[in-house]
Amino acid sequence: MAAIPKEKPSRTDEARAEFARYKADVKARGKPFYPYAMFHDTIMSVFVVVVIVSLAVIWKWTAFGPHHDPLHKGLLGGEVAQPADPGTTSFVPRPDWYFYFLFYLLRIFKWPESVFLGTIGIPTIALVLLIMLPFLDRRRVRRPSARPVAMVAAVLTIISMGVLTWKGATAKEALASEIKQDIPNWVKAEHLPPGALPGARLFASAGCTNCHTYNGAGGSQLGAPDLTAIGTRNLGVPTQIRHLQNPGSVTPGSPMPSFASLGPQRLRQLAVFLEASKGGK
Amino acid sequence: MEPEQPSPDTEHESLHEEPHLPPPTLWPIGFAIGIVVVLVGLVINPELISSIGAAIAIVFGVLWARDATAELRGESLVVEPERRQMKEAGDGMTAPPADQQGVALPPVDPSTVTRSRFLEGATLGLGGVIGGLITVPVAGFALLPSFLGQKQHKVDLGPLSSFPLNKWFITTFIVDPAEGEVSRRTAFIRNNGVVSTTDPKTKQTTQQPSFTIISNHCAHLGCPVQANGPTSDILKQPIVVEHTANGRVELNPVVPAGYGCPCHGGQYDTEGNRTAGPPVRALDRFDFEVDNGRLILLSTYSVSHVVGTGAQAKIHKYQESGPGEHLDGPEQWFYPLQPPHH
Amino acid sequence: MATTYRRTPTKAELRRQRMEELINFPLDWVEERSGLVGGVRYFLFRNVPSDINWMQTLGSAALTAFLVQAITGVILAMYYDPSASTDPHTGKPVAWESIVNITDHLTMGWLVRGMHKWGASVFIILMFLHMGRVFLFGAYKYPRELNWIIGVLILVMGMMEGFTGYLLPWDQTAYWASVVGINLNGTAPFLGPWLAQFLRGGQEISGETLTRFYSLHMLVIPGAIIALITLHLYLVIRLGVTSPPWSKDAAGMEPEEAEADGRRAGLTRPVPRPAGASAMQAEPGGRE
Repeated sequence: MAAIPKEKPSRTDEARAEFARYKADVKARGKPFYPYAMFHDTIMSVFVVVVIVSLAVIWKWTAFGPHHDPLHKGLLGGEVAQPADPGTTSFVPRPDWYFYFLFYLLRIFKWPESVFLGTIGIPTIALVLLIMLPFLDRRRVRRPSARPVAMVAAVLTIISMGVLTWKGATAKEALASEIKQDIPNWVKAEHLPPGALPGARLFASAGCTNCHTYNGAGGSQLGAPDLTAIGTRNLGVPTQIRHLQNPGSVTPGSPMPSFASLGPQRLRQLAVFLEASKGGK
Repeated sequence: MEPEQPSPDTEHESLHEEPHLPPPTLWPIGFAIGIVVVLVGLVINPELISSIGAAIAIVFGVLWARDATAELRGESLVVEPERRQMKEAGDGMTAPPADQQGVALPPVDPSTVTRSRFLEGATLGLGGVIGGLITVPVAGFALLPSFLGQKQHKVDLGPLSSFPLNKWFITTFIVDPAEGEVSRRTAFIRNNGVVSTTDPKTKQTTQQPSFTIISNHCAHLGCPVQANGPTSDILKQPIVVEHTANGRVELNPVVPAGYGCPCHGGQYDTEGNRTAGPPVRALDRFDFEVDNGRLILLSTYSVSHVVGTGAQAKIHKYQESGPGEHLDGPEQWFYPLQPPHH
Repeated sequence: MATTYRRTPTKAELRRQRMEELINFPLDWVEERSGLVGGVRYFLFRNVPSDINWMQTLGSAALTAFLVQAITGVILAMYYDPSASTDPHTGKPVAWESIVNITDHLTMGWLVRGMHKWGASVFIILMFLHMGRVFLFGAYKYPRELNWIIGVLILVMGMMEGFTGYLLPWDQTAYWASVVGINLNGTAPFLGPWLAQFLRGGQEISGETLTRFYSLHMLVIPGAIIALITLHLYLVIRLGVTSPPWSKDAAGMEPEEAEADGRRAGLTRPVPRPAGASAMQAEPGGRE
């Protein structure tokens, strides 16, 4: 305590005074926790338990109630997935929903140099900021209208978490088995001739959709062009084959890898399919 | 009782009311570092590094103990009786009650060891002994088994004749039959044929079989990478199943144009070089040997990048590292020390 | 006194008196030996601001969700078998089979596992909502900073429960999510590779990883959460709950806070130390 009386009390003194007023107010004008506040707490808790039980019941009766197949999926997912197979060649891993934001964050940082920003950097910074919050915001005022920075930051955080979670939940992988089921739709939408079918199957299984999208299927995050209407550019089958063999020779600087290892016959099938893809026109 | 009135014996009372905390000291930090070095040393090099750690721990431990007991060692460690010389004990010969004015007890020389100080030091010391006795084995048991005794396994993948020249196979196999399905792994294998290599010293030419054996664990975060290309169902070629000393081995023919990761979209070419997406390096590879005409997988190693293809490929080889860890460039300094692998 | 005692009590009154004694005796017995009854009485009948609202039930709702997790988790542990080895008869992992057995064959097993599975999500959501409420109310400010930090730690522990528990069914989603999760930790500079190897219990994910996660999931982390929740509640009771900041009648607010000069007027009052503050001292010129 300073010997000279201060003109203005320090922030700590103001906060202490406010807390003392708070204690006094509560003592004088508050209401007992039981039964008033506890009544609300109990109602809310009943609601929570009912929600949990309902989720369990919906999960059971839509997923495996009448089916008795542990792998059948219902409204809330299956009872359990296939047993763990560390040597899997076809599985697409996904986290639980509350880690979707992190999952999508990792997809955003698609440059090798930035990997550790997504894995460790940003989550650690966010956690430190969260823990430090009371020391970053030391003003006494609590009304949201008087805390524009905090409110804007909160809204931005909620929006970005929501968007990341949503993007993570809807992120689709170009898995050959799933893409292949799409082929009949392609035939319908693109009016593909029967001769393009072997190429379509190859297109679905050779990983083209890992980078390209086609008729709404496939992954777009690596930035490769959509191939739904690639045929309208009328490049011709020979050019398409040359491009598949050595993308850089047709499109200089293309980051696309060579598909020459598929062999000339399969490349021709692929090229025929691509030329036949006119986007449904 | 009037608390406002200063009592002359307050400072003497403080002798009994306040705990004597040892003075702040930095030695425990050095001691802790020593212990850490001992534990790390047990993993890496028990003789050298653990000895250094033990030396650090002992030096700092002694310094710490000296610091902590400095008060006690001010005089010889004789425990004085609690009875003390009377002084100004009021009118009579007995000490006045403590809440009355007047000095009940004489000031104690700070360097003397009173009974309470001795008990305090002994309690703290014994508590430390208990803590040490429990912490060292428990922490050691929780930590060390993860790092010690990592065994290398040889995986028998069957006769070389199962691997036709220049054909790729998605091969799944069990690394350790004792562990079972948990140790099932997948690799992309291609037989590059026989290569003649000439030893630069002896000028002798030897015929060596060459295989490209690429792990399917993504170099980003370890997801199961998939081959981009038609497999047995489209190729109309059967999946070969063999039963070897390691149990069931499956060879799925494939014509890959590269590999893709289903998690975060990393893409690789057929040699395992990163072509797009977040992977920080090329895919890991397996060492191999040929024993009695059978292909035997050995341990895994990490690869920063590969120049060339097949038997002529120049592989930039590194000690096996976890996914997401850079092997070259400035980022490699983030991971200076790898835990022991087989 | 003597005059009022003249009338002999009726039989009903006597019975009632005996009942009261019967109930009070054990309570008094406990109170005399522990003081616990007084503690519970203080907890129940302590005053809270009169303007608290529904948003402030989120904390106790999260506690309820945690209790549901604790109870269902203990029951599941009676039937679950954390073994990654393969059942020689079926060729399936033992842990996976025990989960299928709990869900499909044990009486009400689906309900207990379903509550545990979905309770986990509800618990996490409620913790986030509760945190949002505290943020909105500015309730992390003096003197509740420490309780905010404890709350963040509980949230982190809750996420770790989610991460370790997700592996236990030992199915494909579980296994590969854990692979990625562990490798995430492995990319941390310097100690990351060591941390990852510790979590795996070796160089590769194996049966040891499963037992390790099981131990963390049902002993270590819940123990930490229970300790933190106890501390959290102690601080809530000690420091009280805040009024909604927009309340016209918020506890602790200066009467003319809204006005520009209200603040100055308020500060000319004596500033009592919080510990010694009482209703008499604090509000000489207050609302009363």
